[in-house]
Amino acid sequence: MQTTAWLSADLVPRSGAEQVSGHAAQLTNDVSAADDDGVSISDIWKAFATGNENTPAVEGVNLRIRRGQFVTLIGPSGCGKSTLLRIVAGLLTPDRGSVSIFGETVIHAAESKHIGLVPQTPALLPWRTVIENVELPLQVNKHGTGGGDRRPIDPRELLESFGLGGVLDRRPHELSGGMQQRVAIARAFVFDPMILLMDEPFSALDEFTREAQRRGLLELWQSNQKTVLFVTHSVAEAVELSDVIVVMSPQPGRIRAVIPVDLPRPRGSLVGNSEAFHTVEVEVRRELRRTWSQPE
Amino acid sequence: MTSNPRNDWRGARVSTRRSRWRALRMQMWVPPIVGFGLIVLGWQLYAVHNPYIIPTVSQIVDQLRTQPGLYWHDMLVTLREAVVGASCGMAAAFLLAVLMSHVRILERALMPLAVVLNVTPIVAIAPGLVVAFGFGFTPKYIIAGVIVFFPFLVNSLVGLRSLDPEVLDVFTTLHASRWEVLWRLELPSSLPYLFAAARICLPLSLIGAVVAEFSAAGQTTGLGSLIETSANQADLQAVYASVVVLALLGISVTFVVAMFQRRLLSWQSSSRARSQ
Repeated sequence: MQTTAWLSADLVPRSGAEQVSGHAAQLTNDVSAADDDGVSISDIWKAFATGNENTPAVEGVNLRIRRGQFVTLIGPSGCGKSTLLRIVAGLLTPDRGSVSIFGETVIHAAESKHIGLVPQTPALLPWRTVIENVELPLQVNKHGTGGGDRRPIDPRELLESFGLGGVLDRRPHELSGGMQQRVAIARAFVFDPMILLMDEPFSALDEFTREAQRRGLLELWQSNQKTVLFVTHSVAEAVELSDVIVVMSPQPGRIRAVIPVDLPRPRGSLVGNSEAFHTVEVEVRRELRRTWSQPE
Repeated sequence: MTSNPRNDWRGARVSTRRSRWRALRMQMWVPPIVGFGLIVLGWQLYAVHNPYIIPTVSQIVDQLRTQPGLYWHDMLVTLREAVVGASCGMAAAFLLAVLMSHVRILERALMPLAVVLNVTPIVAIAPGLVVAFGFGFTPKYIIAGVIVFFPFLVNSLVGLRSLDPEVLDVFTTLHASRWEVLWRLELPSSLPYLFAAARICLPLSLIGAVVAEFSAAGQTTGLGSLIETSANQADLQAVYASVVVLALLGISVTFVVAMFQRRLLSWQSSSRARSQ
């Protein structure tokens, strides 16, 4: 199994707009800045019924993600970060508020296959081989045209670039957890969605695999700079990957702080040792501690 | 070229694996064969001393040998009734399960009726159906179908609900149609349950077919009719020969289902082996 550099070739296509606006140096990392072309989450409220009461999960969340930005939601359990991600994915309907994905409603974005989801577990179909799993999004909902600049990637080439060229015809259970998760990421990538939603995709992996996966994702993102909304528990992971870290506080889920990460890109394996990395890490941790010390 | 030690080591490993495999097969086959042999021996001993209660093993074998055409023909009739009836029953049960899994109110409305159908003794329904549908194949199909309906319905429902919710999330974000979810996700996910049900249902449908034939004995052929008419004539050899044929038929049907199961669900058995 390859541990580092699981993206070997720069074959993933970029759309013109992403190339122009997506470069790290040009990002101001201000998620609240107005930008027509991106994801905007406006005043989202969501409560869940527990017994006779309604428990608020997310209250009045506003967030703007620009095209090509890597935004991470971080916070303690119950802060509503997964709920928020599921709302953006169209898996939950908010009680109030709206989400716009590149100017479209969530339903329209899903119809035209603009959303790539990487769930917490790889969630592969056990009866399909690796290549068949990655082909799934191309077989389902064929009407999803998704605009003119859409360029689906050849699944075989994509998997080869992920370092999975040797296991195309294996079934998921024959692969390690890290490889399975890479297949899941390839599946979310193959149809060239406009936004990638990742819900703690590495949380089930051991620390070493996790680090390799993180580096692989970083390289992948570097080469095609998709818009990403990433949910995690890990501060180091958030700092290493993101342009912007959104710290959320629990009960009810609200945005506590929006922290820009001004670390140079591309970020190599040594980024974790730099002074700037630690400064951001300390800031995120401080905000996270506050979510505990002042619950309301 | 001289043999290198690595090859020798490999060869040794292969041969130990082979002998272990042989030992495993011995473990699989010897106990049931010994057990079966003991029962046949006991049967023969008892039959020799009680000729008016059960026939001897050799008499049963003779019976089958002198009239192979009769048993073969009747077996095919019973098999046809069971397989056609069970196929219709299982197909109807699966379709209803698909509807129920999508429309909750349908489940609440129809499940009690299915339970009633299940708890009503099939033997009690059979004569009525013969009166209603005559002595042809129809009442047999219906009874074989009815007897498999409920177990297949319940297993299908559990199977259709056994899918991984995170995979369903992926399908939802791709805006997959209901049909795509059913065909590409729900149906394959439920296959292990459907096969487990089929292994119960096909032998059950043989019971249904035989019971149906009892009710119309003398008018139709089939192993059930043969048993009923032979018993009325106190022809015990024919009765037990039919029972033996039925048992063999049940074993064959179960074996065929297991074979399909292994072929179609290779992904499942190997993933289970790994997780254990």
